[in-house]
Amino acid sequence: MAGCHTCGKVSPVSLGKCPRCGTELHLRKPGSIQKTAALLIAATLLYIPANLLPIMVVSEIGGTTASTILEGMVEFWKTGAYPIAIVIFTASILIPLVKIVALVWLCAAASGKVHPSPAILGKVYFFTELMGRWSMVDVFVVGILVALVQLGAFMTITPGPGALAFCGVVVLTMFAAMSFDPRLLWDRLEILETPPTIKP
Amino acid sequence: MVCHFCDTLHEAGSLPESTAARCVRCGAVLYQNRAASLVRATAFSLTALLLMVVVHTFPFLTMETGGMRTTLNPAGAARALIDEGSPIVGWAVALFTIVTPLVMSLALIYICGPLLFGRAAPGSMTVARWMSLTEPWNMIEVFLLGVLVSLMKLGKMAELHFGVGFWAFALLMVCMAAAVAAIDRHELWDRLEVAKS
Repeated sequence: MAGCHTCGKVSPVSLGKCPRCGTELHLRKPGSIQKTAALLIAATLLYIPANLLPIMVVSEIGGTTASTILEGMVEFWKTGAYPIAIVIFTASILIPLVKIVALVWLCAAASGKVHPSPAILGKVYFFTELMGRWSMVDVFVVGILVALVQLGAFMTITPGPGALAFCGVVVLTMFAAMSFDPRLLWDRLEILETPPTIKP
Repeated sequence: MVCHFCDTLHEAGSLPESTAARCVRCGAVLYQNRAASLVRATAFSLTALLLMVVVHTFPFLTMETGGMRTTLNPAGAARALIDEGSPIVGWAVALFTIVTPLVMSLALIYICGPLLFGRAAPGSMTVARWMSLTEPWNMIEVFLLGVLVSLMKLGKMAELHFGVGFWAFALLMVCMAAAVAAIDRHELWDRLEVAKS
């Protein structure tokens, strides 16, 4: 018996497809750890250019300045806009990093390298799925600034290569979180010890 | 039914309105019976659809500096990125802020509207599947945060005015969240199944 990934209906795996919604039935998502790991490696590699390359280029009368995510944050911090600096730091630098680390940890736990409690891991997984989208905020900011600041010779803003890399990091980590099957964490528990007593 | 997180098998009984069932092993919410779910889902997605029209027809954000004036809306931000040499990023912005909310609200109306009368619209199972796939990619609230950050960046150098479109967008965020939260996925699937047979 397997629960459908999409609609949750429980039916025999031998059917192949869910009789209710037509999604393919699996006991666990096939190749879950491999897929998640592959996407994570790609995301980690992209994370480097995402932070090193400029996300936007400002052309003014005085010349052009390119700024990376970190520089944008530092500028806010220097001008005393601490809340915004913290928001950018959290969304653009901390969340992708925490997500990658959390998913690596989850993969390690699912393949039996580390043995923390599945209940805690479940919460970690829930949060990585939840917060991933917020990292897109800097990409949106670039879009908004590029659209608004088109003042001819005065000042124009164009997107930099970092924006594409960063967008890639967000999308890849989101796919990585989706391809991970949290049920693998509980399979480990069943191998390690006797099934837990179920409280009513 | 089985728990989505840990695969423990449970027997699903019927629940009184506004209560939830949780997994005995990991504590994840299994399914809920939310109050007036179908009516709410339909009403909020209809409102969201109307608000989308407002967002894309009325001025969103206007910037004035030194006699020059530029305007912005979500589609404009995406188009600017496409024109200025980042087409992939531009399409991603359009997808996450315009296409996804549109697909989500249309799908909810298409599924929940007929269900209100105890019927399942043709192909609603497929639509429901697509809806559950698009759900994580809806990023209007993130775009709103982006607007806020941009305002802080531009605040000193220019004068900025919010248009009707901006307020409609803020309301759209609330409506989408309310529409999505109105109905539990398992309840939706169960209702579809009952209506079909």
